[in-house]
Amino acid sequence: MKIASYMLISIIFIIFESAILSIFPVEFFKPDVGMPFIIYITLFLGPGTGFLATLIIGLFQEILSNAPPGSMIFTKISIFLLVTFLKGKLYIDSKYSFSYICGGSVVVESFLFLVLSLLSKGELKNVMNVFFYIIPNAIFTGFISIFIFSMIEYINMRFLSRE
Amino acid sequence: MKKTVVIIIAGIILVLSFLVFTNIPLFFKGYSKVKTGVGEVAGPALKLMSKPTQLVRYIFDSYINLVGVKKENFELKKKLDTLQIENQKIVELDKENKRLKSVLNLMEQHPNTMTAARVIGEDVKNWFKCIIIDKGRDHGIREKMPVVTPKGVVGQAVEINKWHSKVMIINDTNSSVDVYIEGKNTRGVLEGTGQTTLKLKYILKNDEIAIGDKLITSGKDSIYPRGLPTGIIITINRNKAGIFADVDVMPFNNYKRLDEVLIIKKK
Repeated sequence: MKIASYMLISIIFIIFESAILSIFPVEFFKPDVGMPFIIYITLFLGPGTGFLATLIIGLFQEILSNAPPGSMIFTKISIFLLVTFLKGKLYIDSKYSFSYICGGSVVVESFLFLVLSLLSKGELKNVMNVFFYIIPNAIFTGFISIFIFSMIEYINMRFLSRE
Repeated sequence: MKKTVVIIIAGIILVLSFLVFTNIPLFFKGYSKVKTGVGEVAGPALKLMSKPTQLVRYIFDSYINLVGVKKENFELKKKLDTLQIENQKIVELDKENKRLKSVLNLMEQHPNTMTAARVIGEDVKNWFKCIIIDKGRDHGIREKMPVVTPKGVVGQAVEINKWHSKVMIINDTNSSVDVYIEGKNTRGVLEGTGQTTLKLKYILKNDEIAIGDKLITSGKDSIYPRGLPTGIIITINRNKAGIFADVDVMPFNNYKRLDEVLIIKKK
């Protein structure tokens, strides 16, 4: 029930981002709304559900982006593996610490994309563009993740049983 | 599921996604099928969610911009709001009327070769530039079909689903368009930078170009037909090292403000 609810919300958020953000001049601050869900589900619902969520969110982001095939799945699975390995070391005591982790993950994802491009195609055509957006994306994703964390916690308290 | 098993599966998916990224045909084809299948689900949802965007755009344009007026006088603001909204409606309708007229004119010039589509979404990542339109395979859209507006080139269709398609904008770093400078013999390749402006490559320092020159498609890239306007030259730097000049181009279309586009059907 929980995983289904979280997945549905994350997919709605991603589609909503694609549909609605074209109106607002927020090209510089486009958040990665999938990232907070991947990290939350992996940390709090276990690696099995986290993996499933990562795969679906990565695929949906790739469908709604001009990203090269496989790239979003690769970076998102890498983040999932990183979070899984660091599970015991990441200490989330509030929505703010969660937002730092989400922001940091966006930075790691950006570098992973650059490494992937370099390794597989031997070119860094998009490097300046990716570098240009790393910090604003990380800040804004961190900011958005505060609200996402609060929203999930509220849904847990109000509608779903807490584990 | 045990943690180790999940990590092993994730590792396998990681390797597979890397192989897909490297364009190995076997993996690429299989992945495309999965992606298209999931895309069929995403299309209608995106279409549905894009419906309220017109309303949000209207509110954003007409109301948010009036926040300053609110502070001055509540009563005056109320009146002003009503008038502004009314006025905005007329202006928006007028704009839409003009836009649709120009779209219709262009379509009449090329009967049976163009399909009009509405923009329903954009790239969720700001590393890449694409828009999503509400026409797909069922409407005869195919890959590499040029997408234009009466102002000029928008981009090309890159991924086609049943009900919607992805259009790579000329601003995307993977986009290249073969262009001529209007009225001159100079030819170059217009490349996306991922930012608002584009780069005109392979223009020799002694080539005949000037700021304000308009660029048109040459038709030699076998994607865009000859003669479509693409952009205007805004800066030329001949002082850099090498034989080529550094030329910046502003495209005619602002992809952030696109509502309707036309897809040129190839036979």
